[in-house]
Amino acid sequence: MIDAGTQPRRTSPRVVLVHTATFRQARQLVPVLIPVAAVVGLGDGLLTVVVMAVVITALSLAGAVLSWWRFGYADGPTAVVVTRGLLARSVRTVPNDRIRGVEVEAPPLHRLLGLVRVRIDAAAGSVGTNEEELVVDGVPRAEGDRLRTRLLARRPTGAPAPDAEQPPEAPVEEELSRFRPRWLLYAPLVGSYLVVPLAAVGTLFRLVQELPDAVVPDLIGPEPSPHLLVAGLVVAVPLLALAAVVGAAVVNWGYRLVRRGGSLVAVRGLLTRRHTELEVDRIRGGTLSEGLGMRWVRAARVNALVTGLGQAHRRGQLLPLGPRAEAVRLLGRLVEDPGPLTGHPPAALRRRLVRALAAGLLVTAAGTWAATVLGWWWVPVAGVVLTVLGVPMGIGRFRALGHGAGPRSFSVRSGWLVREQAVLQRRAVVGWQVRQSVFQRRAGLATVVACVGAGSGGYAAVDMAAAEVPGFTAAASSGTWAGTLAP
Amino acid sequence: MTADAPAPVRDPAWSLSRSAIGLWVTEGVIGALFWVVVVTAVLVFVPEGGLPSPLRWALVAFAVLEAAVTIGIRPWVRYRVHRWEVTGEAVYTLTGWLTRTWTLVPISRIQTVDVTRGVLQQLFGLATVAVLTASSQGTVRVLHLEADVAQRVADDLARRAELVRDEAT
Repeated sequence: MIDAGTQPRRTSPRVVLVHTATFRQARQLVPVLIPVAAVVGLGDGLLTVVVMAVVITALSLAGAVLSWWRFGYADGPTAVVVTRGLLARSVRTVPNDRIRGVEVEAPPLHRLLGLVRVRIDAAAGSVGTNEEELVVDGVPRAEGDRLRTRLLARRPTGAPAPDAEQPPEAPVEEELSRFRPRWLLYAPLVGSYLVVPLAAVGTLFRLVQELPDAVVPDLIGPEPSPHLLVAGLVVAVPLLALAAVVGAAVVNWGYRLVRRGGSLVAVRGLLTRRHTELEVDRIRGGTLSEGLGMRWVRAARVNALVTGLGQAHRRGQLLPLGPRAEAVRLLGRLVEDPGPLTGHPPAALRRRLVRALAAGLLVTAAGTWAATVLGWWWVPVAGVVLTVLGVPMGIGRFRALGHGAGPRSFSVRSGWLVREQAVLQRRAVVGWQVRQSVFQRRAGLATVVACVGAGSGGYAAVDMAAAEVPGFTAAASSGTWAGTLAP
Repeated sequence: MTADAPAPVRDPAWSLSRSAIGLWVTEGVIGALFWVVVVTAVLVFVPEGGLPSPLRWALVAFAVLEAAVTIGIRPWVRYRVHRWEVTGEAVYTLTGWLTRTWTLVPISRIQTVDVTRGVLQQLFGLATVAVLTASSQGTVRVLHLEADVAQRVADDLARRAELVRDEAT
């Protein structure tokens, strides 16, 4: 019923080469091979290794050929059908009107052979897992582009979207944002780009520890001298920064965000080119997030909040890393600015401080006992340091809090390590949740969560004045239903 | 209901079935039995020297207190707090006992309505109505209604959601 007149297509045979080289199918055999290797043993040295390599490659080739042979896809007039499976056949049908986005990516090997991988996102609501995604791996670039344009062009155009004002089929392209290489200088201050090089360093240290002592040159004597430590830091810090910059460049190089008809198209990546397309009609707002280090240099990132988008954190990224001003401008294009935020009452500051100081005070108290009984003088010292550090943290957390509602949109902000401001259209709200603990009740505060069918599912105004809750919820949702909350 | 400050929002109008108290007491008894078994096992099997006697007494006190709260206090507090209401435009609930949660979902954004009956609920002739939206956090659960009321509410909500549904996201 679905693919009347549409022949199932195959991916390019060249993909067999890619999958053989990356052991894509053979990777599943690893759990089987390890016990086999353990039984057979690697005792015979070189010969065994060569045999193993040949066998694995052969298996990989066979797996790649089989899965290429058994894989088919068809983009019919109403649905996309993907058939696959070596023994058990699986047929997945996704109606065209459930397709939320199409992503075309080209990892290095694919690029070498002129192939791309097409990810068709068909998420429904918030149940998102990888199951929601169809992957057509290894079609020629032209076929990938054809698939993308066809799938996105045939979505129902008459969707009721009062806030979308785009012309229906205008192929005009408008560039919203473009990468500047100097933005890479922000990378060393962004947590996510520092994690990878830090993890690499950690692995290196573990490796060195596992090596037999004789192999490791005795650079560090029994007592590491302060000079050596300082020298190490002087070398390591710039190296870490450099690694973060390189990492950011690999992911974000050539980033470009354009609006093409009813879609936002984001392209980025140095080795793997990633091409993400989001439907403007489904965008309900965006988040502006600034990490601790990013706030220092006034950098920020922007994510779009799109209904029914799987893996929203990766896909929704509109500005991966850039100056705050650029981020604010871009967010303003997604959703109307609701105006300045209202801060939260002083009682919220007390709560933030109590929480920030509690850990430090606890350590201090336990440490005093440890110091008197066990003589561990450093424990109370650490506790005092923690307590002192808690003060700016509590104040920072409090200053991040805010909420505001404009004529067509509203906004909530919170967070300290990563401060996140969510700006949403009023029509995005599918429910309100008001929470009040015993302590909040005594302090006259409440936490209000706007339930949204996009992004993380809910965005909270933490510890706002209880008296302001009915007014804010009424001002921030479309229609009159939120009036139910008014006392 | 609250002595300290007025609630941030108004409370829904209707209370649950009184059988809910029986259900919560039963749940409390089951929970307390579990702790009694655990504490007894510790007292019997851990040798005298392994655990100082103040700790033993603390364990016993914990088990007694836990039973008193979950059987004697919590069901009644919960019954007084829990409320629900279906208005012309929305479904509205209040749940919790220490931390209170008010949830409001407009009927136009309802995606599915489920009625579930757990084993204990069946014993007391109760059922839960779950109203789901596009948001993972925007789920309203009306716990422990009489089974026939729950079914009527669910049918009514599903029918009205069909009539006024807009994009639902």
